[in-house]
Amino acid sequence: MKCRPILSLASLLFLPICLSAQTLDPEALHRPPTDTWPTYNGDYSGQRYSTLSQINAANVSSLGLAWTHHVEFGNESYAQQASEGRRIKSTPLLVDGVLYFTITDNVWAMDALTGRELWHYAWPNNRAIHVANRGVGMYGKWLYFMSPDNYLVSLNAKDGSERWRVQVADVKQDFFSATSPLIIGNHVIVGPGNNDNIRAWLESRDPETGALQWKWWVDPDPGAPGSETWVDNATMAKGGGFPWLTGTYDPELNLYYLGTGNGVPTDRPPHPTPEGDSLYTASIVALNPDTGKLVWAYQVTPHDTHDYDAGQTPIIFDGEFQGKKRKLLAQVSRNGYFFLLDRVTGEHLLTTKYMPETNWAKDIDAEGRPIPDYTKDANPPGALVSPYPIGATNWWSPSYDPKTGLIYCNAARTWAYFTTSGYGRFRSPPDYLTVAIDYKTGKVVWTHELGDKSGVLISGLLTTAGNLLFGGDSFGNFLAMDPATGKTLWHASLGQFVTNSAMTYELNGRQYLLVAANDTWFAFAVPESEAKNNGHIKGH
Amino acid sequence: MKKQPELITSRKLLFACLGICMTAALIRSAAAQAPAATPPPTPYSAAAEQGKGIFSSSCSFCHGSQATGTEQAPNLLRSPLVFQDHNGDSLGPFLKDGRPTLGMPAFPTLAPEQVQDISAFLHARIQEIRGTRLPETAMLVGDPKAGLAYFNGAGKCSTCHSATGDLAHIAAKTQPLALTTLFLTPPAKPIQVTVVLPSGQTVSGQLEYLDEFTVALVDADGAYRTFPRDRTKSVDVVDPLIAHKKLLPMYTDKDIHDLLAYLVTLK
Repeated sequence: MKCRPILSLASLLFLPICLSAQTLDPEALHRPPTDTWPTYNGDYSGQRYSTLSQINAANVSSLGLAWTHHVEFGNESYAQQASEGRRIKSTPLLVDGVLYFTITDNVWAMDALTGRELWHYAWPNNRAIHVANRGVGMYGKWLYFMSPDNYLVSLNAKDGSERWRVQVADVKQDFFSATSPLIIGNHVIVGPGNNDNIRAWLESRDPETGALQWKWWVDPDPGAPGSETWVDNATMAKGGGFPWLTGTYDPELNLYYLGTGNGVPTDRPPHPTPEGDSLYTASIVALNPDTGKLVWAYQVTPHDTHDYDAGQTPIIFDGEFQGKKRKLLAQVSRNGYFFLLDRVTGEHLLTTKYMPETNWAKDIDAEGRPIPDYTKDANPPGALVSPYPIGATNWWSPSYDPKTGLIYCNAARTWAYFTTSGYGRFRSPPDYLTVAIDYKTGKVVWTHELGDKSGVLISGLLTTAGNLLFGGDSFGNFLAMDPATGKTLWHASLGQFVTNSAMTYELNGRQYLLVAANDTWFAFAVPESEAKNNGHIKGH
Repeated sequence: MKKQPELITSRKLLFACLGICMTAALIRSAAAQAPAATPPPTPYSAAAEQGKGIFSSSCSFCHGSQATGTEQAPNLLRSPLVFQDHNGDSLGPFLKDGRPTLGMPAFPTLAPEQVQDISAFLHARIQEIRGTRLPETAMLVGDPKAGLAYFNGAGKCSTCHSATGDLAHIAAKTQPLALTTLFLTPPAKPIQVTVVLPSGQTVSGQLEYLDEFTVALVDADGAYRTFPRDRTKSVDVVDPLIAHKKLLPMYTDKDIHDLLAYLVTLK
């Protein structure tokens, strides 16, 4: 039994007075992630920056394996049989020394000190698309998990027993779910995905009962703002744009930021004309998490025709821009462009091309939006386009290091030939690299090549106050880089490429660095003697 | 405003496409209204029929009888490897080794003819599923003369290739889309590497592995050699396809159309 002082009114509202077993203190959501990693991105900002510095540039060469854990989930599991689905793509949560993570259809609790499995929850086999699961959300002592066939499941964090399940969407309509639910106040925010022509939404559920609180439709109602950007109501009513990744949240402004998916079908009218942006697909949007009402929206790919969704993490941070301190939001977007916005109003500040190969747009308009070059749509003789639909980046988590002022992202150099003739399809294999972008100028400061050996997947990134940037290459090396230059400072060959984003935590005075490659976890730490010499674990 | 001509071209293209789509739609709706006579199944070629049998016994357990995939294995009718395959040229090498890490077993005992039959079956299935697209001749809008000029000029294709040598009669055996794919991204070829050791000793051979830290090769004697890169003086890689890779960001779509228009004349 463990009691914690309850300080805030919010905590009193949401939790019993005395916390028992593994219980998430809501205040932890507003602190830098050190001994707790309470959300998919560690905190609400999406920065994936840790203030821990026991592992640092000076001692990283002594970083060694603390433990490893191979996940077993049975040959009968459909997830085991799915080529992409059986990989660990989730970022674990850490609460009171216990890690919680997922693979599609499966949730585990694991001892953060040793990697020992505490419990395993397996969802029944089902016919949904088993492409990924990015992790759980937590509220008090309850976990929230999306099954591939679109149930929101609440589990008891203590033993993995199921509390309730509610259906969010019907698998028979080809919906599938992979997102990590985000908890804001007493809202569990989730959304399914679908590759077909169908109306897209995001919704909020009650953490106690699973009851629906609100739905926000990506494709507007007829006559509502944004509807004027569609050719007709029928197209709009099945225009797609599923927000398929977890967004970020500013508690002061009470705004939830997320990126929406691409509009469908890619050859929807009006096409190929510049009119008809298909709002609010391929956009960064700000919602009120209490009501689900849209506060502002900024579209990064007007009338997308190449599957460039804008799901990538909208990173939020405060910083100087053109001599003024501002509340900023940055996205390294799938379409090959970097965007910087004012997150209070959605005002556009900066657009730059971070992948020089990007050729689907001919210019940038007055509001900083790329202007699509419709000669780069699929046509009979064909058009050579970069990036191809996997994108210049994808769900691979970016990171922002406030010490360098740089935003880091793993990116892919890709080409596809878009033609409406014949049955073939040309796509060059993705060639991966880490890019470092100065948010003030949007310029790429350095790049670090990662190779082309990992198919359609590359790791996410993490920065720390130890002046380190962690990520994986396409060969199976886990790398620590100098965030200022991109130079490799340390590496370990994991034998398989990293499939998630590394996270880090402090436990019993020692800093651990945790990363997954396929179905195996690897935890690294500096030797005990080194840890003792470096007393100030919490960094600046 | 100066972009107007492009736009008009695009609109013309749209109308042309719409015309084709509408015609197709009319044909479909006429078929739908016709009396219950179900259209005969698409006749497969003899090779595709053979391939169907082989597929059924060797592949369907995981990929499904219709090749559309199961929980165990992907839909092959959306597989880039199958799209890029021509008569077994990609499938053959792939099946020989499989992809054991993903649960795809190797089929080293399949004869080349059997692989070709499987290929024919898969391509027949793709055609069934994706319906009739524009014929590949719709890709031939370029100017062969401009293509020849590109071949000998900006594209520097003639540095390595010749219309009377390696490319002679290429269009007789390769269709326009495959031909385009072939010059945009040719199949991988062995890469040669030369490693210079601190002693000054040189080791050359076929590249097996190369990342930031390690280089591995098979030398002329067939021996596998591996070196930490920080203990080498230099690592020089000769990728025979580097010229093709470097062209990707350089091509205009017109270059590609012209080059194709030229290459299809090499019958």
